[in-house]
Amino acid sequence: MMTENVTQLNKSNIIKTIGSMLCLCLLGMIVCSTALAGGLDAFAGKKGTIAIAGGTAHIPVMKKAARAIMTANPDIRITVAGGGSGVGIQKVGEGLVDIGNSGRKASDAEVARYGLVMFPFAIDGVATVIHAKNPVDSLTAAQVRDIFAGRITNWKDVGGPDAAINLYSRDESSGTRAVYWKKLLKKGPIAVSANIVPSNGAMKSAVSRDLHGIGYVSIGHLDKTVKAPKLEGVAVNQQTAMDGTYPVVRKLYMNTKGRPTGLVKAFVDYVTGPDCVEIITASGFIPIQ
Amino acid sequence: MTRFHRLFSALCWACALLPGAVMLLLIGFLLRQGWGSLDLHLLFGDTPPLDALFRFVPVWDGIWPACFGTLCVVVLAGVISIPLGILCGIHLSEFAQGRFRDILSFCVDLLAGMPSILMGLFGFALILFLRHTLLPDVGTGLLLSGFCLGLLVLPYMVNATYTSLSSLPQDLRLLGPSLGLNHMQSIRHILLPSAGKGIVSGLVLSLGRAAEDTAVIMLTGAVANAGMPRSLFDKYEALPFYIYTTAAEYQTPEDLNRGFGAALVLLVMTTGLFLAAHLLHQAMERRWRRG
Amino acid sequence: MSAGSHISSPIPARIVIAVSAWISAAVVLSIFLFLAWFCRPLLDTTVLSSLLSWDWRPFQGDFGILSMLTGSLLLASSSMLLAFPVGMGICCFVHGVGPPGPARLVLWTIKLMTSVPTVVYGFVAVFVLVPLLRDVFREGSGFSLLAAILGLAVLVLPTVVLMLHSQFLTIEPQVRLTAAALGMAPSQKLLHLVIPASGRGFLAAAILGLGRALGDTMIPLMLAGNAAQLPGSVFDSIRTMTAHIALVVATDSRSLAYLSLFACGLLLFMTTALINLGLRMLAGNRENGS
Repeated sequence: MMTENVTQLNKSNIIKTIGSMLCLCLLGMIVCSTALAGGLDAFAGKKGTIAIAGGTAHIPVMKKAARAIMTANPDIRITVAGGGSGVGIQKVGEGLVDIGNSGRKASDAEVARYGLVMFPFAIDGVATVIHAKNPVDSLTAAQVRDIFAGRITNWKDVGGPDAAINLYSRDESSGTRAVYWKKLLKKGPIAVSANIVPSNGAMKSAVSRDLHGIGYVSIGHLDKTVKAPKLEGVAVNQQTAMDGTYPVVRKLYMNTKGRPTGLVKAFVDYVTGPDCVEIITASGFIPIQ
Repeated sequence: MTRFHRLFSALCWACALLPGAVMLLLIGFLLRQGWGSLDLHLLFGDTPPLDALFRFVPVWDGIWPACFGTLCVVVLAGVISIPLGILCGIHLSEFAQGRFRDILSFCVDLLAGMPSILMGLFGFALILFLRHTLLPDVGTGLLLSGFCLGLLVLPYMVNATYTSLSSLPQDLRLLGPSLGLNHMQSIRHILLPSAGKGIVSGLVLSLGRAAEDTAVIMLTGAVANAGMPRSLFDKYEALPFYIYTTAAEYQTPEDLNRGFGAALVLLVMTTGLFLAAHLLHQAMERRWRRG
Repeated sequence: MSAGSHISSPIPARIVIAVSAWISAAVVLSIFLFLAWFCRPLLDTTVLSSLLSWDWRPFQGDFGILSMLTGSLLLASSSMLLAFPVGMGICCFVHGVGPPGPARLVLWTIKLMTSVPTVVYGFVAVFVLVPLLRDVFREGSGFSLLAAILGLAVLVLPTVVLMLHSQFLTIEPQVRLTAAALGMAPSQKLLHLVIPASGRGFLAAAILGLGRALGDTMIPLMLAGNAAQLPGSVFDSIRTMTAHIALVVATDSRSLAYLSLFACGLLLFMTTALINLGLRMLAGNRENGS
């Protein structure tokens, strides 16, 4: 009897779950399709090219948005290049691209000089990353500062194996570097011996290949191939970045020279609008919406 | 033979094994990693190949746009440098004299020795300059890259033409005048056709050089994601740049496999051009050895 | 032959040819003038002195490119030190030490190596050489001076071998009879007759190889780690001038970072010009000598 009941209960549960899942799926699909159609309507009948450059944390979002738009309307071309936030701001300022991405706020001087308009679309954090097999689970802010300044040079000093620490850093154009340097390293020195990599993606794959490496990367680029040790006991993820317990956070910006018009405006509206929320979340960022 | 000579021979043998070992390692590694991903999916991703080829449907997760971009810049570079290079080579070999000849050949040598990143920097500065002066709307793109690559390979083309023409046997040079042709006619009807294969072989080699160069295009308009270019002023994707970015920033094993596939495709392309040039060159040499 | 129809038009064709030669020369000169024009701000002594310093720390306002210059020179000369003896060995192998069959094969492989794209060498090195160095030496990240030296040595090897090869080809006929008369073995002939007679050719090969090594961008950019510092050992990361230009894509013409690109460009260009003049003088001397 009991077992029968249990199985029946299970059955009905399963049916319920499946039913609700199906409903959710359907709902999701409807929402998605209407949302997609709605958001992408702005591009209908438009033609032309949008050139984007700059911040490398933004690239996954830009690529996915470009793919959605270009699939819906093949007459539009969107090119995405990296270079770092500084390059993004300079290039859009010089008019070499339509949208210059930056992972930091453009400075007052930059805004004044180029007449930039900023469009924040997501919240991101900058996480310290080490190799996935590195046993170190937690670091204090002071330890991180000492490691990057070159004062701690062996993993055994922070509870790891007896091996030299290989530092990875970013070029000066990087907004990720600027934020990490300001908010976590407190503008302390970064050892000049650090290897320099040109993007967030390159940072992630460099550290994922180096058993004794350490670097820093946008939270959106974290995956299972690298490990983000806790900072002062605080786990690093979207949740802690959003509620403010993880302190090294920043916004991701798109910048245009003057108010955007036409196709560029449609793109900016699309990325900052409700239809891109899913893409931004899937890329590991927190939409500002 | 003394011990010293035996040691010397042994060292020479050891050195001689190195190039073969390096090439075997290189090709073996690329084939092992990239062989599995060599199919239409590598080129076109999920887009039907015919749509991508003829209807310019955007291709995702495939290297076709990069291949097409490379093809475009190589053609542009060829259009710019082939006529100029051949004519300049003819001038150097047949007409130039005295000081101008020295200046010209020095210029060509200087250009040949110039690092390609400098040519990239030149292109980059050129576009900034044009934007500030005559053409405020131009940007980096296919045309600029093609132009800079064309200049980069120009000296190779000049030298190929020059060497092929000046290595022709003396009796062939006398044939024209003996038939009553003037200098220009004998170039046109005797010397150029005879040196043709050598010249073409040089041109093919130079195009291979244009196809593989990365430093120029990374400063003049190649980007990581662009899709198919629609006009000469568009930014574009290119195979060497794709390989460079993938090496640094691949995110998934699939990305990496595409990188290996792209490296194989580029390698096959350049070695193919090299072999074609080699065969043409041999054909020319054989002809004059027999004659 | 349709020569008759062309008798009336030899002059235009000749003009076209001369004009295009002029155009080529003009284009080359204009590239140089253009780069020089962009380097004008470097004439300012304060700018120049801040660029010609040792530290590259843009956040602290230091924009020195001397460590890049050192990196370039160090990398190029070390890779030539490696490639030159190996190239010499290969050349001797091709010219008599090795049997004719393998000799032809080796020479052909060297020629094939010239057709391998630099970026492919770099790509394979990132996944084979760098992890190997990291695991074998357990010192640093593998992205190091050593990785770049090895990669660059492979890259310039064909240049060196082919230059030496053509030098050997011109010397060998001159000494063939002597060697035969003395009953010399091939290795003896090479060591005692050919090599001593081709000093200038060696210098030319070394200079040309050095130029190629100095000018390469992709190998140092992908393998050397790009830290702007003076290396303490071969396992340290360095940055070359070429990699610096590729890495710092500054477009703000008022910034020192932007000017540092052109300073590197100018230095690279001057070394290229010097190398060319050197080669020219060598060739000129040889013509006068014979």
